[in-house]
Amino acid sequence: MAIHEKSLIEPDHILEHEKLVVDGVDVSGHWNTMILPRTLTDYDDDFEKVIQRYPGGENVHRCWQCGSCTNSCTMYALNVDFNPRYWIYLTRLGLKDEIIKDKDIIWQCVSCNKCTNICPKDVRPEGVMKALAHWLEEEGHTEKKPSTIFDEEFWEQVERTGRIEDSHVLMHFLRKTRQPLMQEWLVDFSKRMLRHLPFAHLFRMGWNFLFRPRTRGWGRTGQVLREWVREQKEAAHG
Amino acid sequence: MQNTVLVVGAGPAGLSAAASVAAAGHRAVLVEKEEVLGGAPILSGYARLIPSGEWAKDAIGRMVARVEQDPNVTIHKGTRVTQVDGEAGDFTCTLSNGGTVQAGAIILCTGFTHFDSINKPEWGFGTYEDVLTTTQMEQMVAGGKIYCPSDGRTPERVAILLCVGSRDRQIGREWCSKVCCTVSANLAMEIKELSPETDVFIYYMDIRTFGLYEDRYYWKSQEEFKTKFVKARIAEVTRAPDGRLLVKGEDTLVKRPIVIPFDIVVHAIGMDPNEENPEIARIFGVGLEKHGFIERAEHYTNTCGTTRRGIYAAGAAYGPESIDDSISQGHAAAMRAVADLHALVRKAS
Ligand SMILES: Cc1cc2nc3c(=O)[nH]c(=O)nc-3n(C[C@H](O)[C@H](O)[C@H](O)COP(=O)(O)OP(=O)(O)OC[C@H]3O[C@@H](n4cnc5c(N)ncnc54)[C@H](O)[C@@H]3O)c2cc1C
Ligand code: SF4
Ligand code: SF4
Ligand code: SF4
Repeated sequence: MAIHEKSLIEPDHILEHEKLVVDGVDVSGHWNTMILPRTLTDYDDDFEKVIQRYPGGENVHRCWQCGSCTNSCTMYALNVDFNPRYWIYLTRLGLKDEIIKDKDIIWQCVSCNKCTNICPKDVRPEGVMKALAHWLEEEGHTEKKPSTIFDEEFWEQVERTGRIEDSHVLMHFLRKTRQPLMQEWLVDFSKRMLRHLPFAHLFRMGWNFLFRPRTRGWGRTGQVLREWVREQKEAAHG
Repeated sequence: MQNTVLVVGAGPAGLSAAASVAAAGHRAVLVEKEEVLGGAPILSGYARLIPSGEWAKDAIGRMVARVEQDPNVTIHKGTRVTQVDGEAGDFTCTLSNGGTVQAGAIILCTGFTHFDSINKPEWGFGTYEDVLTTTQMEQMVAGGKIYCPSDGRTPERVAILLCVGSRDRQIGREWCSKVCCTVSANLAMEIKELSPETDVFIYYMDIRTFGLYEDRYYWKSQEEFKTKFVKARIAEVTRAPDGRLLVKGEDTLVKRPIVIPFDIVVHAIGMDPNEENPEIARIFGVGLEKHGFIERAEHYTNTCGTTRRGIYAAGAAYGPESIDDSISQGHAAAMRAVADLHALVRKAS
């Protein structure tokens, strides 16, 4: 039998069987479709604390679900599935699976902060959106954003050598984001550089590109820095 | 000439009324059916009161001591009024202990009756040991330790269900009991304070922490004590095979059915009309309003009046009321009664 409201049911809750026997009765064909219950059977009491450890997520527990944030939201105006109030609620009760279902839209927050300006409980929803996007990324639910990849590449180089080699950052970034190295703008840019820069400068650039020297005395400094960053991360996320 | 006011009921309202009559230089006769004075906060062993934060036995205890020490207040414990004759300015009241009281005016401070959760069997009270009422939970808080009555373990999670016995046409209770939201938010904080590892959830339809209770109780319990507020009226409380309680309902914000395990479920019970009100109405000849509380006269110029001249009322006798407001009303009713006595004096001279 057709289920008329199928559109209301999440696809992963609809089970369709080729052959189905229930209590010894073969119901293949007619009654082959089953719907899994949508019941929520537990909360994750610690999840709120996890999100509160990200910068911006600190005030999430203050929310009383008035909906002012969603009503004011730039993204909600374009897509009614973009609902900060709802995600804040899920965060509070620790309904993680429900949040993950929306992983492809949560990151679309444009940080306009209209929500933050209107929130009567000073929850700072924009910060919560940022925290959620970070959490989704760190847990591997969403792909890394290009900006994160760039940051990481940049930091790795600084950490290793105490300086950055632009061409390497760019090359690696393009490779990791699966973009062609031969970008039109880049070819153009390099050509002009070759034409206009003095030879000694070009030579030094070439040398640095090939041998990638470290900042003098970087070894120990780099180590201290690495250590510090690790501590900060641990302090933030346990 | 009549110099006496009869006050019926020695809860916060009655204690205040009697003290005020005496303070104005007249005589008060206080008739209380129980053997203990103090009304619901004492009889049911409330913990710390909203909004003062004082222990009930201290705060209400002071009110009791004040009337007990006042030579102008005569107290009859374990006593009821069985008959009222006469009229405003000259009532003759017969007491169940055989005495009579001549009074110029009467103040009814007969209060309310706690809703009996047995009348909502689907919420598990009386069936499961770990389903309690707010009064029982207050007693547990007063005892200083939060535990599951079934086996003594510390609860991981406590659910407080609001509006139990209030706002429910199914059981003929169409009123809001006014204080239970605030009492519950306060209770959530007290539980967390005594047992930091316990998470408290409040299931609500509306939160009515009126006036200044908004930030002091609702916001504070949410923001400082991490109470979680879930918008759902619970349909049923059952027990899981492992012995924990299962709270079933619809989470209206996610539009999903919920079946969530809890260790303790608390009913925020409401305030019913005093179960003796039909009898009280008959004896004193006063009317009851449609819910069964004592009918209030036109309030603007007949403050604290009832449907009968010379008989006043105060506090939860009129409908769900807070302690502070009951006390103020007791004082106001005393003012009306004393004014009646003065009017008699003027008439006589
Ligand atoms: C769980 C719970 C917690 C609460 N906590 C708070 C709080 O923290 N702060 C707050 O402001 N309010 C609180 N309240 C409300 C509070 O209980 C009432 O405001 C208060 O008790 C009303 O006082 P009252 O004197 O009008 O009535 P009552 O306290 O009910 O006193 C009535 C008195 O009259 C006596 N009586 C009744 N009938 C007769 C009769 N026929 N003859 C003689 N005597 C009679 C009774 O025995 C009783 O002593 C709470 C209520 C509940 C249900
Ligand atoms: S900051 Fe993000 S969530 Fe807030 S209003 Fe703007 S787009 Fe919406
Ligand atoms: S505006 Fe603030 S309080 Fe209201 S739903 Fe949004 S985050 Fe919650
Ligand atoms: S005060 Fe709150 S819990 Fe009590 S009846 Fe009213 S809404 Fe329900």
